[in-house]
Amino acid sequence: MTRKHNIKLQTIIPFVAFAVIFLFFTIASKGRMVTARNIGILIDQSMVIMLIGSGMLFVVAQGSIDLSVGVNLALSGVIGMWVALATGVHILLIPVSLIVGAIVGLFNGTLVSKLKVPSFVLTIALLIGVRGIVLMLQTKIGTQYLPASLRILNEPYVKIPMFLVILAIMTYIFEFTKAGRYSQAIGENETVAKFTGVPINKMKILAFVLSGIMAGAGAIFSIITVGGTSQTMGSFTEMKTAMAIFLGGVLVTGGYSAKIYKMLLGSFSITTIVNGLAIIGYPETEVSESVEGVLLLLILLVTMLSAERSRKREKAPSDKEPDEKAVEEATSIK
Amino acid sequence: MQQKSLSTKDTPGSKSELKAKLTFAGIFIVGVAVVFFIFNLLTHGNFLEWQNIKIILANMVYPSFMAWGMCFLFACGYNDMSWGGVVVLASFATGVFANMYGLVAGLIAGVLVGTVLVFINFCIFAYTKIPSWIASLSLAMIYEAIAVFLYRGKSTKALVEAPMAKELRIFGLLPWSLVVLAVGFVIIYFVYNRTIIGYNIRAIGGNANVSRALGVNVRKTLLWVGLICGLIIGITSFLQESYAGITTVKTGLASILLIFQPLAIALLADILQKKINIIIAVPVCAFLLYAVFNMMTLMHIPSGTLQEALLCLFIIVFAVVGQRGVKEVVK
Amino acid sequence: MSAETVLEIRGLHKYFGPTHANKNINFTLKKGEIKGLIGENGSGKSTLLSQIAGIYKYDEGEMLLNGKPYAPANPLDANRAKIAMVTQELGVVDKLPVGINVFLGRLDQFAKNGVVNLKKLNQAAAQVFEKWNLPPVPLGALMTGMMIEQRKIVELARALSVEPDILLLDEITQSLSLNNRNNLYALIKRLKEMGKSVIVITHDIDEMLAISDSITVLRDGEVVGDVKTSETTAEQIRYMMVGRNISGDYYRADNKVDYQDEVVLKAENVTIPGEIEDVSFELHKGEILGFCGLSDSGIHSVGKAVFGLSKITSGSIRLVATGEEIKSAPDAVRRQMAYVPKDRDNEALMIHASIHHNCTLPSLDELKGSVGYLSPSKLKKLSDDVVANMSVKCTGIGQTMDALSGGNKQKVNLGRWLAKDLKVLVLDCPTRGVDVGVKSYIYGLMKKAKADGIATILISDELTEVLGMADRLVVMKDGRIIKTIRRDEEFTEHSVIEVMI
Repeated sequence: MTRKHNIKLQTIIPFVAFAVIFLFFTIASKGRMVTARNIGILIDQSMVIMLIGSGMLFVVAQGSIDLSVGVNLALSGVIGMWVALATGVHILLIPVSLIVGAIVGLFNGTLVSKLKVPSFVLTIALLIGVRGIVLMLQTKIGTQYLPASLRILNEPYVKIPMFLVILAIMTYIFEFTKAGRYSQAIGENETVAKFTGVPINKMKILAFVLSGIMAGAGAIFSIITVGGTSQTMGSFTEMKTAMAIFLGGVLVTGGYSAKIYKMLLGSFSITTIVNGLAIIGYPETEVSESVEGVLLLLILLVTMLSAERSRKREKAPSDKEPDEKAVEEATSIK
Repeated sequence: MQQKSLSTKDTPGSKSELKAKLTFAGIFIVGVAVVFFIFNLLTHGNFLEWQNIKIILANMVYPSFMAWGMCFLFACGYNDMSWGGVVVLASFATGVFANMYGLVAGLIAGVLVGTVLVFINFCIFAYTKIPSWIASLSLAMIYEAIAVFLYRGKSTKALVEAPMAKELRIFGLLPWSLVVLAVGFVIIYFVYNRTIIGYNIRAIGGNANVSRALGVNVRKTLLWVGLICGLIIGITSFLQESYAGITTVKTGLASILLIFQPLAIALLADILQKKINIIIAVPVCAFLLYAVFNMMTLMHIPSGTLQEALLCLFIIVFAVVGQRGVKEVVK
Repeated sequence: MSAETVLEIRGLHKYFGPTHANKNINFTLKKGEIKGLIGENGSGKSTLLSQIAGIYKYDEGEMLLNGKPYAPANPLDANRAKIAMVTQELGVVDKLPVGINVFLGRLDQFAKNGVVNLKKLNQAAAQVFEKWNLPPVPLGALMTGMMIEQRKIVELARALSVEPDILLLDEITQSLSLNNRNNLYALIKRLKEMGKSVIVITHDIDEMLAISDSITVLRDGEVVGDVKTSETTAEQIRYMMVGRNISGDYYRADNKVDYQDEVVLKAENVTIPGEIEDVSFELHKGEILGFCGLSDSGIHSVGKAVFGLSKITSGSIRLVATGEEIKSAPDAVRRQMAYVPKDRDNEALMIHASIHHNCTLPSLDELKGSVGYLSPSKLKKLSDDVVANMSVKCTGIGQTMDALSGGNKQKVNLGRWLAKDLKVLVLDCPTRGVDVGVKSYIYGLMKKAKADGIATILISDELTEVLGMADRLVVMKDGRIIKTIRRDEEFTEHSVIEVMI
């Protein structure tokens, strides 16, 4: 009875969290949050997070993190736009952005898998290091405006189907193919995965490449929505996406707790928070950042506690010896 | 199976161990001398001028302290990305209180704020099981937000400053800052290498389960780490404020950049750990790293973004080298 | 209680959750007595010693030390009571030097105001090594990279530094080389002469008969026998351990070498530095090829090598049918090989995940449809089939692995591999930590696999098991193959142990 109770708890956390957040801000903003126009803004803002999240989810499922997606987005967008405008072949924006994103992802994946660099050290280093380079590039190139030929992409009847198709593909890959399952297994226990024949290095590289490609996709959507590149493109996006995933109830260690629907719900949650705070009169970044920081700690605590509790309940009829202790944070990230 | 024959080099106090260490030190010094000579050539003699060396020395003091703090982090196996935010808040406190009540007040304020905040961090690490890297990222966000909030209303929202009166900034200058460095070195060397708490910290980082079974109180040890690192960070903040005079704060995890210079130093020292004790290695690496950036500035390579990028490159390279031969699972 | 008794345990019970690990234990230890504690995996012997050593607290019953109630709160407490233990798991901290490891947790003995006097500490450590005639280990060296034997010796030094009245040794002999083992026996004897007591856990019945004064046998958490060594035999001990005669229908009934001519897998001059050297053998279709040896013999490394999990520096593992080399685990799985590692909870199963996820993981490649589609219904069917075929006791395929008993876990572990179409099956201690009923079930599975033409490698620490099941038995020592014995030759424990030692 209690076991079913706990499984349910983990599944409904993202729903409850979102509902609470949404209700809170709807009330606090005296309904201004649920105007048609604002809902439109909410959807626009969540789209980029969801796209990137669908790629980052593979990385988180494996127990790693990719904090470089923000700068990756900026880099892909700037370079993609530049190539498109310089060559006059405007549609090149799309493949170039995706390719740049993929290259960054390949770099990350190789260093994490073959050279064993901890993912958060690596991607934070990129976050800080590449940020400046992108700014330099942007200062040199200047703001690049979306050419008229591509403006059609911002029409809802083009943008939304595009978004849904990409999301559907990523959902399919994560939930219904080996790539997703293997990534979850790696997060659950990498040694077991290795001993069961999962190609570890390949999967790690794949996860970061997917994360990178989605950063590129996020760049495309960003540019389309805003109408060009901007100095703040992709800023804080990596934290927002990571928060979206964790607010959705995915464990830091990933594993089978990583699911697409959690990321989607979490994306709505985080967008609501930022948007909601702005509407009720606190548009400053320090307010949203502090709220996000506190919320993140809270949700991490709750998810971890509920996972622990369901594990304690499970430990049962076993003729375990003390020397056959269950893997206790053997693979924990400290 | 085949026993790994332990060479006499590993016997403590043996002659051959001493010889090996001295040889390494010798090669190292020669290598560094050569590199500096080249630097000097490249900068048309500007590098090895006393004025310039003074700049490097002044610059390396407070990052050395933070890097020493990171040695303790590495030792116990935890991460704390929020130190940038803590330094900002503690520097504020230093600046404000020094201006109002004098130097001593500034020192106490900075150290107090630093200690309390890092201690809180480690309470969270010790009592919840949230991995420290993400917990500290959240904390970094909170501290940054608090810092900006405290100073809101002054200038633009993005940039906030807390200037400290010039007369009070003696510890930012040579030779006083070097004195602080020397004193700090002695104390920290002792704590890390010769005290029970130092060994306990390294024990829980090496094998927490065994340590626990042998009677080491893991939780208490972690709180001690919080205390020790907190004191170190407090002093770092005081020194940083004394040196720079102002503190810049932005949101958006800008505070992480503040950690990066000490992180590069600590990672490099960690690599050299097999040959030199890590506490000794830290100021050496700090000097070296600053020498490199100093040289770049002398050669008119713009600081700011390019040097930042180079710093990050160093970090990645040091991390790669440091992880050579690591067999366990790395996330 | 006589004046001679140093430790008495009455009616002790220990639970791990709902598992009754120690049931109503009654146990006495005299001064100057060397007591052997033996039992199969899972019988509760380590648990019992751990409670005496203060690692766990007992739930019911009482312990009396020299007539006074004894309930240590932690190992330090036990040390103060002059009781010390060398545990089975490796208990040293790598990053710290040997000297510190000896006294970790008790550093305040050598410290003033928190500062440690290294000279004094190392002197004290050196004294311990000298006093007990332990092979020297450099005290200032960090323990990273030291071999298992040296680690065990440091742990032994640590235990001895307490000047124990009771010394507890949990399966320490298997990590020691032959001469160090003899030194250990001499050490134990010396303790006896000093009037101290020793409790030794070992799987080696003959060793136990040689060094102990009395033997206590545990089975399923209970004491089933408490005999004087001089009044018992190895057979009797084995009988008490298992509860019945190890008869033919448990293992194989026949004495024939029975496999087909076709060679499925060939290992040629395989070398993994530090583990195995120049290992070559052929594996035939329908064969059960056993591997046995003492610790550090390299038998477990052979399993890993065959499955492509280790870096082979020279030589090769080859599938004869295609001539291809096995270079990685994904390779091996693709070529219809399976591997069941020794460490079930950490290397074989994702214990916090469901039965379903564990069952399907090895078969995802086969189950995928077009465009890589993994049909949920197909996956579910696989898991349902495994649970049904193996008669796994569970509440459903959604139940998490750590809720199952050891035997049921192993059923899932094996069953998910046997659900595939296999050519080669590598088993490493497949019946470890599993009750007798499931053990016999697993042997049945192995016989069926054999009949189906699957080539099996059986690596085991239990000599009786390999002798019972294998067609040929490869005996290894120090990383090399010493001898290969056939089932129809001198296939007895005696002939094998002769070669092993």
